[in-house]
Amino acid sequence: MSLAKIGQLAWRNLWRQRRRNLTMLVALSFAVMGVIFLNAFLRGLTAQMADGAINSMVGHVKVLQPGYRDDPGIARSFVLESEWSPEIPAGQLQGWARRVRVPAVIMSERETRGIEFIGIDPAQESISFVADWTVEGEQLEGPGDRRILVGRSLAEQLETEAGRRLVIVTQGADGRSREAGYRIAGLYQSEHSALEKFHVFTGIEAAQALLASDTVTEVSVRLTDEKYQPTVLQSLIATFVGLNVFDWQTLQPMAATMMQLSDAMIYILFIIVMSALVFGLVNTVVTAVMERYREIGMLRALGMRAGAVLLQIVTESTLIMIMGVVIGTAAGGGLCLWLSDGVDLSAFSEGLEAFGFSSNTLVPTIMPADLAFVVVASLVMGVVASFFPALRAVRLNPLEAMRR
Amino acid sequence: MNTVVKCHGVSRVYDDEVAPVHALRNVDFHLEPGEFVSLAGPSGSGKSTLLHVIGALDEPTEGSIEVDGVSLDGLKARELSDLRLEKIGFVFQAYNLIPVLTARENVEFIMQLQGIDSAARRERAEEALSSLDLGELADRRPNEMSGGQQQRVAIARAIVTNPVLLLADEPSANLDTNTTKELCELLTRVNRERGVTILTATHDPLVMGYAARQVTLRDGEITDEQRATPEAT
Repeated sequence: MSLAKIGQLAWRNLWRQRRRNLTMLVALSFAVMGVIFLNAFLRGLTAQMADGAINSMVGHVKVLQPGYRDDPGIARSFVLESEWSPEIPAGQLQGWARRVRVPAVIMSERETRGIEFIGIDPAQESISFVADWTVEGEQLEGPGDRRILVGRSLAEQLETEAGRRLVIVTQGADGRSREAGYRIAGLYQSEHSALEKFHVFTGIEAAQALLASDTVTEVSVRLTDEKYQPTVLQSLIATFVGLNVFDWQTLQPMAATMMQLSDAMIYILFIIVMSALVFGLVNTVVTAVMERYREIGMLRALGMRAGAVLLQIVTESTLIMIMGVVIGTAAGGGLCLWLSDGVDLSAFSEGLEAFGFSSNTLVPTIMPADLAFVVVASLVMGVVASFFPALRAVRLNPLEAMRR
Repeated sequence: MNTVVKCHGVSRVYDDEVAPVHALRNVDFHLEPGEFVSLAGPSGSGKSTLLHVIGALDEPTEGSIEVDGVSLDGLKARELSDLRLEKIGFVFQAYNLIPVLTARENVEFIMQLQGIDSAARRERAEEALSSLDLGELADRRPNEMSGGQQQRVAIARAIVTNPVLLLADEPSANLDTNTTKELCELLTRVNRERGVTILTATHDPLVMGYAARQVTLRDGEITDEQRATPEAT
């Protein structure tokens, strides 16, 4: 018997119990839509979390002196040739930055705070949150700029403002205490108040001058796509012999763990939602089969082979599943498209910031692999769910079935 | 031509919680090409069981059955299914058409199972329907037809593949007298004009009256066999 005829029979059979099958269809569509939207929402969250982690001056890969992570300071720095630049194929490298980053104390006339004093080349910082901040006052003009940029939150704590002077005290390369006064060029504002309170920036050459060193404490590399990360990591390990080269997941373990957890959540969520629905689908198929025992018996008596009857029943539930997946995918995709400008999560900004989110706006992101998983897994579950009730039906003796 | 049905020493025993039920006991029965035979007897006499074992829907506990020269002994479920499809037409008590298909599609369905191409299917279905005066019902679904009309479509479906044997199990059970007469006349026409061998299980004297040979069963045994006079048929 042709597949077309089996499909036609299955399609018409679906409409024999319109209300029941429509209810099932609506439930399937909602479930698929919900799963797709929640997947996209979680993907948006994790993408943002990763972006926040990479953006917070980590990059995809970072080079550090061994021991720097446990005891940061200029004593754990390294020489970087002035003409050095990473040998990464064009199209893979978004940018790189060298920095001097040391713990320090900052003092105003009224307050004192512990901070991280960071010497940067502003032209290289398109790879970090520095590129996105808004500055009240003036930006740093170059690596030799001796002024500082202070976060707005820190300025409030220090009760100071742009144009005023602050004193920074840190430990120099020789181990002796160094201090210098710096004029505030401007107050920066970022999405992270924690960053504002902790990071104070100046030109890298100005920082090196204070520390009496021409070394750097880190080189950060940002790529256009994370897929290039393993290759670049290996390349930098080969380049910087004796130094540590870390990927961002190592440097930001909480964000990396959260991403892994989100990956697992996506599958767990799918399995829970779809399993509940599969029970509904099995119930629908079982009911449909029981109602049609006599008919199935008659088909078998006329000479329809068991395999063809089985295929017909499985096709019926698969058709419902296909319709549910198509409608649900379209609705889920439409919902994500409707929210493509982002979902405002500013009401939860403090909590989100604690988890490393770089923005209060979340854009749901549909990943083709997630979509393929939902579509394929739904259809497979639909076929498997209907297979066993169908098998039970065709195992009945035709005569017994017709007597029921 | 082959004898259409040969039953030799056929018994059928059903297991029951109280005691085994002997539905058929050592039955010998032959059916020759072109015959119209009725199996009569009270409820539980074994007429339907005999029809079912001949139709390869049930297996005898003992004895042998041949349909159109093919022994049913040892055939697998799939082979029995193919034998039913190729050699036997069925008319059941409760019409048993496929409810989601039209009359024409129901008639075509059996040919689809046989793998006949669509043009030939269409032509043969039209021919079978019009030969039974069902042309105008071709596009109706079973729920749009009366019981008698449904049963006529079931006959059209049964004969469209030119089976060697047509088995009808209580074909008039749900029909009124007039409709039963029409049905019997139709079966007679099919028997005479198409030469289809017909075996019907019935307890309706009206149906029995149209058969050329009446076989009576009681307690699973053939107790009587009568041939109708030419006038009666």
